[in-house]
Amino acid sequence: MTNKDTWFNRYVNSLPTRGWFKLLSRYVVVPYWIWRDPKPKLPGGPRESPQPSENTQRMMNLIMPLKDPSPMGRAMAAMAIAQNVDEIFSGLDNVGTVHTARFLILGDNLCMISVYDGDFSNYIRDFIETIGSVFDAVISQIKGAEHMIPTCDHVEEFIEWVHDHDLFQAPDFPTDLFALQDAAKGLPTDGPAHEIMTLPRDLILQLHANPNLSLGGGYRSYPGYSAAQVRDKFGVGW
Amino acid sequence: MHYSDLAKRIVDELLRPDGSDKLRPVHTIGIGATGYFEPSEVAPQYCKADHFITPRTKATLRFSNGSGSKTQHDDWSDVRGMATRFHLSDGTDTDLIMMTLPEFFARTPEEFLEFTLAAKPTEVHWVSPWKKIWQMLHLIPPQPDPYPDEEISPNEGAIKFANENRYSQLAVFQAAAIGAPVSYLRAAYHAVHTFVVTGEDEVERWVRFTWQPIDGVKNENPLDPPGADYLQGRLRDRLADHTSRFTLMMQIGEVGDAFDDSTKPWPPHRQRVMMGTLTLDHAAEDTKAQDDYFEKLSFNPMLLTPGIRASEDPVLHIRKEAYAYSSGKRDATPCPFSGGAEDDQ
Ligand code: HEM
Repeated sequence: MTNKDTWFNRYVNSLPTRGWFKLLSRYVVVPYWIWRDPKPKLPGGPRESPQPSENTQRMMNLIMPLKDPSPMGRAMAAMAIAQNVDEIFSGLDNVGTVHTARFLILGDNLCMISVYDGDFSNYIRDFIETIGSVFDAVISQIKGAEHMIPTCDHVEEFIEWVHDHDLFQAPDFPTDLFALQDAAKGLPTDGPAHEIMTLPRDLILQLHANPNLSLGGGYRSYPGYSAAQVRDKFGVGW
Repeated sequence: MHYSDLAKRIVDELLRPDGSDKLRPVHTIGIGATGYFEPSEVAPQYCKADHFITPRTKATLRFSNGSGSKTQHDDWSDVRGMATRFHLSDGTDTDLIMMTLPEFFARTPEEFLEFTLAAKPTEVHWVSPWKKIWQMLHLIPPQPDPYPDEEISPNEGAIKFANENRYSQLAVFQAAAIGAPVSYLRAAYHAVHTFVVTGEDEVERWVRFTWQPIDGVKNENPLDPPGADYLQGRLRDRLADHTSRFTLMMQIGEVGDAFDDSTKPWPPHRQRVMMGTLTLDHAAEDTKAQDDYFEKLSFNPMLLTPGIRASEDPVLHIRKEAYAYSSGKRDATPCPFSGGAEDDQ
């Protein structure tokens, strides 16, 4: 085989790291492909699965845009949480299926990050049941959510809204992205194969439709066990 | 043992023009090591096999590069192998063969033959810079330039095959980006197939095994490759005055998981059990005697022992014949199935 490692070849290999080519990609190439091959926004939250371990320690990454992202508005959001810590903690104890939950202010969003067992709708429904008033205080700080206050009168709509603001969870195995995109377009997931080297492009285009996402389902040090099983094993009484 | 035409055909077709019929047709370059396995406290609850109930079991291993080329290219991107033989207390052995790729290319032996034929190494091509620009404008990563001295490669054929067969895509995609480990002791290895283990309470579980290196997983920087021959030296150096350990992790499958299809890894959320620790304390020396011993070894993934049995995965089953036939073909120390016994279970 003749060595074809010419100057031009080396230059082309370095294009992805060159400023002008990065600008070209960012402002021309990627927008062209977004126009040419748009991807539907993929739904948030864990995907349905009949398997027991997929129904424990599920992730919720709820990203809620702040109505007022100024320091004042952020302080209001912080206050809404701080003033309700007792309600939130006792509510979570009552729900019983939550491993961890916390609020973050990140970028211009208030985020609720939690790990729970069981069905998503039931999780949110239980929550509204036990700490609906906290949710009302929280979403009064959120853009486009006021119409659902009080949440106890808008349960189904609120569940839908939460689902929509829960981050898409990218698949644990990269090539599964093809099937998720096909399914979102209503195409059969066992149809003709995609060219595998188009996967990086599909990921880029998906990141346009879902700019924020969870990278895979994450690590668990004791996968497959529910909060109830863990508490039972430690004998902590509830 | 009777060898089916299919098993023989696959093994014959695996041999590369730059390989040797005196050596293994795949995983051709390798190095031996020895050590011992100690089960975890909970292991017997899940598996009553001898090495999970005996405090310490001696083990013989061979680490390898996946390629069938007889020329060593440690720094080329390649799957690596770790074959372990446990020497059980009754004098018999059991094998556990793993590789760094977490899944396989085919669901059945027939598909694997098709894959093997499609991925026959062909002359490597430099993609023209113009085509690379075209690919970059299509947001497709260009195929990397060939390595210096690289003449033939299975990559083009494998990618073409994967473009037509969904089931092989994950393995081909991950193999294409697998890289080169800094040491055989710094990679995680997967047994890929499902096995059925029986615990002390006689409960059976469908499981998959992985070796996780306590030294941690680390790959070489492909832009600064350490040369074609470093893995064996580093193994010898590391084990000369230290030990190195791997933990044996076992994932427990659930109804609905792919028990008989090794192209599908199980999600990382399955219950996991730490089954024990392998301590390596000796690497094969760079002598002809050691080389002859380890290079003539014949492992077989179906060399099991009461307490562990094979799932119905047809690829696992054909490997029994394929490895035994290959062992005979290269005139190696016979594996226990290489003899005349008509034992096909
Ligand atoms: C149909 C599927 C497969 C076939 C036909 C096949 C075939 C072979 C053959 C013929 C050898 C050489 C055996 C010898 O001469 O002693 C070999 C070695 C090896 N294979 Fe496979 N293989 C298959 C799947 C796998 C899988 C799924 C794994 C990983 C879990 C694997 C890992 C290895 C390793 C690590 C070696 C080297 C063993 C040693 O060091 O002696 N193979 N394979």
